[in-house]
Amino acid sequence: MTLLLVGPAPARSSEKGVDVVTLSARRRLRRPSLREAGTALLFVLPCLLLFVAFRFGPAVAGVLLGFTDYTIGGDASWVGLDNFRRLIDDPTFWSALKVTVIFALLSVPLSMVASLGMALLTRRVFRGVKLFRSIFFLPVVTSLILAGVVFTWVFAEHGPWSRLMGAFGLPAQSWLADSTLVLPAIVLVSVWSRFGYGMLILLARLQEIPAELEEAALSDGASAWQRFRYVTLPQLRPALFFLAIIETTMSFQVFDIVYVMTGGGPVRASYTLVYQLYEQGFRYFDLGYASAVGLALFVMTVIVALIQRLTLGREE
Amino acid sequence: MRVRKSLTAVAVALVAALAAAGCGGSGSGDSGKKTVTMWIYPVIFDEAKHRAFWDETVKAFQAQHPDIQVKTEIFPWANRDQALATAIAGNKGPDVVYLIPDQLPKYARNIEPVDAYLDDAAKSDYLDNVVKSVTIDGKMMGAPILTSAVTMMCNKKVFEAVGQTTYPATWNDLLTMAPAFKAKGYDVTAYPGDVKNTLNQTFYPLLWQAGGDVFSPDGKSVAFNSDAGRKALTFVKQLVDGGYVDKTLLTTLPPTEQTRIAQNKVACLWHSAPQEVEQFWGKENIKVLPPLTETKQIGYGTVGSLAMLKGAKDKKAAGEWIAYASGADVTKKYDTASSFFSPKKSAGTLFAGDPVLGEQEKYVGVTTVGPLHEKARDVQGVLAPEIQAALLGKKSVDQALSDAAKAADALLG
Amino acid sequence: MTDTLVPSATPAAPPARRSRRPHRPQQASRSWRVTRAVLLFVAALATIFPFYTMVVLSFKPTGPVTFPDSLLPWPFSTEAYDRLLGAKSMLGWAWNTLVYSIVSVVGVLLLSSLAGYAFAKKRFPGKEPMFWSFLAMLMVPYHVTMIPTFIIISELGGVDTYWGLIVPTLANAQAVFLMRQFIASLPDSLFEAARLDGCSELRVYVSIVLPLIKPVLATLGVFVFLWHWNDFMWPLIIGQSSDMRTLTTGIASMQQENVPLNMLLAGSVLAFVPIFMAYLVGQRYFTEGVTTSGIKG
Repeated sequence: MTLLLVGPAPARSSEKGVDVVTLSARRRLRRPSLREAGTALLFVLPCLLLFVAFRFGPAVAGVLLGFTDYTIGGDASWVGLDNFRRLIDDPTFWSALKVTVIFALLSVPLSMVASLGMALLTRRVFRGVKLFRSIFFLPVVTSLILAGVVFTWVFAEHGPWSRLMGAFGLPAQSWLADSTLVLPAIVLVSVWSRFGYGMLILLARLQEIPAELEEAALSDGASAWQRFRYVTLPQLRPALFFLAIIETTMSFQVFDIVYVMTGGGPVRASYTLVYQLYEQGFRYFDLGYASAVGLALFVMTVIVALIQRLTLGREE
Repeated sequence: MRVRKSLTAVAVALVAALAAAGCGGSGSGDSGKKTVTMWIYPVIFDEAKHRAFWDETVKAFQAQHPDIQVKTEIFPWANRDQALATAIAGNKGPDVVYLIPDQLPKYARNIEPVDAYLDDAAKSDYLDNVVKSVTIDGKMMGAPILTSAVTMMCNKKVFEAVGQTTYPATWNDLLTMAPAFKAKGYDVTAYPGDVKNTLNQTFYPLLWQAGGDVFSPDGKSVAFNSDAGRKALTFVKQLVDGGYVDKTLLTTLPPTEQTRIAQNKVACLWHSAPQEVEQFWGKENIKVLPPLTETKQIGYGTVGSLAMLKGAKDKKAAGEWIAYASGADVTKKYDTASSFFSPKKSAGTLFAGDPVLGEQEKYVGVTTVGPLHEKARDVQGVLAPEIQAALLGKKSVDQALSDAAKAADALLG
Repeated sequence: MTDTLVPSATPAAPPARRSRRPHRPQQASRSWRVTRAVLLFVAALATIFPFYTMVVLSFKPTGPVTFPDSLLPWPFSTEAYDRLLGAKSMLGWAWNTLVYSIVSVVGVLLLSSLAGYAFAKKRFPGKEPMFWSFLAMLMVPYHVTMIPTFIIISELGGVDTYWGLIVPTLANAQAVFLMRQFIASLPDSLFEAARLDGCSELRVYVSIVLPLIKPVLATLGVFVFLWHWNDFMWPLIIGQSSDMRTLTTGIASMQQENVPLNMLLAGSVLAFVPIFMAYLVGQRYFTEGVTTSGIKG
């Protein structure tokens, strides 16, 4: 699960929350009540136990496993950097990395542009706007497995998509059967399933932009593009930054669609890092190596998030 | 105070529940009646019929062994290794499971050999090659219940439509007659190249026909990167490049009814069982041919066996069940119902009068069960995408096979 | 021309917290409105099209589908549904999905609200480091912890069981964080008063905290529900037997078993309908739940 916090509401209550907590803490500083601490601990205990067993433990173990040759039902021994050496020599890993990065480079901008476009189009209130918003959000609540099953047929050899392409004079073929077009096809499914989410995030932010700002720009004679470029866009910047981070993280973890639509093929053209992790871990049960793939994915996510922070988030 | 007590109780209960769940599992099943769990796969295509078969068989078994309860679970073919390996690792494995020879080495260390549970009469009734295919280190790992032979088969309707009267026997025959089929809008054959297909039925038969093999005799390296391997792959590539096979099937796996095979547009197949196409072609239109010949004539055939896992709760009960379910009467009924062939000498031919199965049954002798190697399935995983790469023209045949060999040898290493 | 801008009482999307602004005619010129309508219409069609395909093709007799004629609703046949519901596995998968989702929602809400309340309003040793270490778990990607979690569950014998499926997902850092933030924003006086009245801690939790956090319970609940209902990878590796499949893993397995297309899509429709119904009824919670909690991909 990717866990991210969004939107103005939690952020605001966070400031307030910290204040309240410090205040109440100060007030009670002199009389630490044993009984209170006891009950509080009991309240936290179930959560804590679960976290120790299924979050903290695995997080540490996940790192350690990458340095072992653990296979299921077998003994594990410490193999040092062997898994990582193997990773570097493994052409499948590099191809999976490449596929994952290309997927992200295609899907993140596309999905953000679609989100922004739909947010701007449904920004104002007019008859039917609620219906449109509901429609655009529907794919977000739909399982990617269902989407994958259906889109397999949308992209079939003589399916609607190849007909559409044929109508535009492009070769009418199954995109899923072609090693160059399979990734764009998967990107389209991903964008279809994600843009409604980005749209809502941006809509929430758009509704907070003070009307006066745009009115002022309007009375200065700014064109629609200028108003968007110099008023709306800067206001949206934090939301867009946030969206970029989420979309990137998500796109690095693409798995469900690949599993259903292509199985990583053709010729590993849609074989992503998480798919490799799955196959190594749960088809060949080479869990040590799979953990090494997971760590590589983690490192990659962190590096990209830092780069995004330094470039996109610079002016915050 | 009362609250604290109840909270403590909640917390304790929660921890206890977690702990109990953690230590549980071993405490069950000791209530007098012995239970045997068996995992089987859709050997009989129709699920309802399949279930009915086992329900009946279990009932008959219980008439003799009222103290043993047998639970059969029908698992899907897809991802069956994954399910089984996970279950064994989590101590949730079945007592008895249906395995085929190329799976046996992988689970060898988890299998309890069946020799001790079968009587001599039963053992000596098995065909020799059948026994050989399930024997590892001199021990029978499973009790065979069926054999199969995947032969060449052609669609008579297509041959009539094209005006062809001779049927192919060699690779060359296929290539020579291919243009005639293409000219009339038919495919001479099909090559299912999606990585979900097992190479046992698609590429390996060609490799064997060309005189090659998947693994070296000592099993320490792969052997498909050979002249035979290159010849086999080049043959498929000729079919693809000539436009003689449906390109969609090289990389995707649509449901059968959506393919040209089901639409009677494909002349011959070497990778399917008649049951799979019967409803689309009509049984009367299926022409069964011997496996193709190149350097030699050989096809894929398997041996299905019931194996006992070491983790079996009650080995004696499981053994009784295996002995019963692999007995001559039960297997004869099972094989007839499932359109497979008998592994027993005493059974004779099951489908003598059947124009399709009776014909196939004749070729059981020219089949092989595929590579017996612990990593056989893993090697398929690295070879299949490289075959795709060669067929789509992303790599040369040489390059694809040597890349696959490199990756496969790393797995074996 | 004049009345297309009907102010809506409650926007479907995140509730606008600002008062509505009057819209000016210039901002909605005729050409812009036409362009907008066309664009939205096209986008909506493209968004709905896969759903339409799913439903229409699921009501076809078994056989080859060809486009575009298969997009027409006839020939109409319920064959796929009959066959699907005739084999009992589909209902079992639906039941499993329901158990997985409901039990997880209840568990997560209960545990996270208890912990969130303690973190927000109580003082106890180790509170700050504990809370921050919970938070730190938000940063550790799912796929790093998934493998060890699988090993733990597998060692404990939880493969192919409900508890193995559910228990690890109850440790939800995000839920604890959201609860803590929300409860912290409530004034202390509410709790103090009750406590001075001699209410026990459990009473305070049940009769004060729970009613106050109802909005969070709803949005978080919907989010957790949706996440579990659509979850794929964890059920895929934990639920190995066909009895333990959920709808998502069951449909994926059907696809791998070469089930006819109409049945595959009928299964998809059946898996989609409950979520669709829930979405129609509680759309507000869906959008809020997803936007305030992030979403799983």
